[in-house]
This record gives sequence, structure tokens and C-alpha cells, in this order.
Amino acid sequence: MVITILVLTGIGLFAAVLIYVVNVVVPHKVMGLEKTEEINTILPGMNCGACGYPSCFAYAQAITEPKALSCCGTGKDEDVLTKSPCATLLEDEESVKELEKALGVTLDVSALGKKALIHCTGDSEVICDYAGIETCKGAAQLLSGYKKCPWACSGLGDCVRVCLQDAIFIDEEKDIVVIDQEKCNGCGLCIPECPLDLIELVPSGTKISFLCSYEPIRDIPGREKCAYGCTHCRKCFKACEEEGIHAIEWDKEKALPIIDQDKCTLCGKCIEVCEPNTLGDFTKANKPKVAVLSH
Amino acid sequence: MNELMPIFIRMITTSNIVLVMYLGLCPFFGVSKKLGPAISMGIAVTLVMIIASVATWLIHDYILMQFDVMYMYIVLFILVISSLVQMVEMTIKRTNATLFNALGIYLPLITTNCAILGLTFLNIREEYTMLQSIVNGLGAGIGFGIALILMSSIRVKLEIADVPKSMRGLPIAYIGATILALIFVFTFGGIV
Repeated sequence: MVITILVLTGIGLFAAVLIYVVNVVVPHKVMGLEKTEEINTILPGMNCGACGYPSCFAYAQAITEPKALSCCGTGKDEDVLTKSPCATLLEDEESVKELEKALGVTLDVSALGKKALIHCTGDSEVICDYAGIETCKGAAQLLSGYKKCPWACSGLGDCVRVCLQDAIFIDEEKDIVVIDQEKCNGCGLCIPECPLDLIELVPSGTKISFLCSYEPIRDIPGREKCAYGCTHCRKCFKACEEEGIHAIEWDKEKALPIIDQDKCTLCGKCIEVCEPNTLGDFTKANKPKVAVLSH
Repeated sequence: MNELMPIFIRMITTSNIVLVMYLGLCPFFGVSKKLGPAISMGIAVTLVMIIASVATWLIHDYILMQFDVMYMYIVLFILVISSLVQMVEMTIKRTNATLFNALGIYLPLITTNCAILGLTFLNIREEYTMLQSIVNGLGAGIGFGIALILMSSIRVKLEIADVPKSMRGLPIAYIGATILALIFVFTFGGIV
């Protein structure tokens, strides 16, 4: 018994001392890794993988040691920062300033930041009492869910479970999920979870959101399936033209509006005019209880 | 020498640590998507296996047997292997940036992988000498590396193949690995 304790403690202490000795003796500064270490301390350190790199350290390496013969981009630091920004970092203003100072570049946060948007208000009629496995993927196997619209959010929470920021809520009354845009940092981990592909990453500067994913089958417009489906009436398009803003264009093939978020001034005319309330004000999407509509 | 060659060849072919003994499946499926990381991982695993074989053989012969505390071998091996890998990683990180870029990030990932620990348990069970343990580790590492390189080449092609939607990614990779394992066992089992 005593021998066990002694041997284990002895070897443990020996190993600890050795590690300490190596830590002290081996020279600390390595050419090339100092900058990387510096950037690494600014990064969140969560290793969430949202930027596409396996760890925060790998991301720091990618920023500080660009490959000269990169096949995409000119190989400058800015390319990594703009093409795959660190979503969590962009939320914290101080860290962004520190990063800008460390690298000597300026970052346009509103252009880089992304938010997740669910293209569904989920108000479709419930046609059966779902008693299967309580996951969205399970419900989607059964004729695309238990609501009338095949693209309706089933509200069983697969995306809620993966959100690291706890930004997604289940709205029990309507049986849908709602994203709290203040907490969402655009990491995109919820996107592969949705079996109906309803979530999309949009730039955080988005103003107007289109809240229906219905694709007309055999010319049945979305209105048939849900009270908030698009009726293809083009009133939003005309309202924007009358205002002189021309931020909405009409996609003739899909019969849906295309919104140019840069030109939009958020005057709200298209939202007023839209009878089924399919268009929503994205900037007001902060309160979880009242989804993303502006009644 | 006449015992070392069979050990070496056996560990690469008919007792391949990942395809036949099913140890180390996590890094095998995790790193086999592209060829570059696969090669780095193979080298890192070989290095750690050799270090682990040497260190654990010393611990086993000079401490465990001496004090008659054989039952502690699992705990002690984990302790020793992880400390050594930590030291190696620190040294590589601070001295050689290129080597670190090549295999540095994989070292902490495979520290106490079941492949590494399983190898050390094999050394004890077969009662190898120090040299035989080293060759065992070298063979296992090289076998792992070969399996990983083959798997990554297959997976690169599977990415663009016409696979049913529910089988894409990991499921079809598992089936590919099964077929690869069968090839290894039957081809090499017949020859060796």
C-alpha cells in the first residue's frame, strides 16, 4: 500500500519536475511564433471551429503566416480575416481593436459580422399530433414534419442544442424556434442541424428579412400552406419603386423578391404593404417572444 | 535480428494496429480527409509510439517489477507518456518552427490514444526486450501511417463520388476502411 503511494507520487513528481525544467531551459522565443502567440492571446480560445480552422492557434498561424503561393487570394493577412472571420471575436469591440493594433489593419465589423436567420415563421397549420422522437430530424422524416407546409420549422430544437451562445429559444405557443440576434455571433453551427435547411447566415447589416422558404410545387403558392406564405403579389416591389429606393427586385423564375440590403433605407413600406407579413424587420429581431415580425 | 524482422513486418501487415487490431480509430477517421495532415499524423504517431515504448519499458522493468506493483501499470503509463509528449511538444514548438507546423498540433491529440497505450500493453504481454519494443513501436507507427495514407487517398475520391445522401462523410468512410482491412488481412495473411 505504502509502496504504491510512494511509487505513484515519486514518478508524478519526477515527471512534473522534468516538465518544469524543460519549460525553463528550452529557449522561449522562437522566430516566427512570437506574433502567432501574441495573436493567439487576443483570440477567444474556444476552439469552436466556426472560422474553419481546427483551433484558435491554427487560426492565429493562418493570419500571421500567409502562404505566398496561395491559390485563392493574394496571400495577405486581410484575406484570411475577411474570408473566414472569427465570429466570436467580432462581437467584442475591445478585442477587435487589439487585433487591429497587433496586425496593423482595420476591420469593418458590420461587413464581416454574420447572423443566423430562420426563413420561417412557423405559423403553418398543424395537421397531426406528432408523438415520435423529439428531434427535428426525426419529424422531418415523416413527410417533412407535422405541419401543413413541408418547409415549416417544427420547433423541436435540434439547433437549440448546438448553440454555444444559447441564442436560440423554442417558442412553445407557436412550436417554432426563434434566434435572439443580440446573442447570435454567426458561428453557423446551427445551420447543418436543420433538416429542412431553413437557417441562413446573413451579414449583420441586413435590414429586411424574407421569412418563407416555400418553393411552389405545382404552382400552389405559399399562401395555401400557411397564413404567412408569400402570395407573389409584388406589392413590396411596387412600394419600393414608388418610394424611389429600388432596393427590391423581382425574381421572375422563383416569383420572390430579391432585397438589396445596401440600398434599403428601412423605411418600412414593404413591410406595411405585405399582407401576409412575410417580410420582417431584421433589426428588430432582438426580442425572443415576438418572433421576427413587426406587427 | 532474426526476431526483429518478423515483428516489424507483422506489425505493418497482418497485425496492423488500426486495420486489424482496431486501435486508434479516432485519429484515423479524424485526420484522414486530406493527404497532408495524414502524413504528418503518421509521423507524429510513429514518434510517440517509439518514445512511449522506450519509456514504458524502462518503467515496467525497473520500477514495476522491482517493487512488485504491476497492477499500477495503466496509471503510470498514462502519466509517463503524457509527460514525455508534453516535453517533446514544448521542445519542438520552441526550437523548430517548420517541424512544429508539420506535426506539432497532432502531438497533444494522440498522447494517450488507445493505439499508443495498447501498443505498450502489447509490449508487456509479449514480454519483449527493449530493442524488440522499439521495433514493435516503429512497425506499428509505420503501419498506422500507411493505413492513414491509403485511407486519405480513398476519402479524397469519396468526397466527389456519387454516394447516397445518408451515407456521405463518415458512414462511407467506415465501409471503405472495412474493405481496406479485409484486403490487408487476406492479402498479407496469405503471403506472410
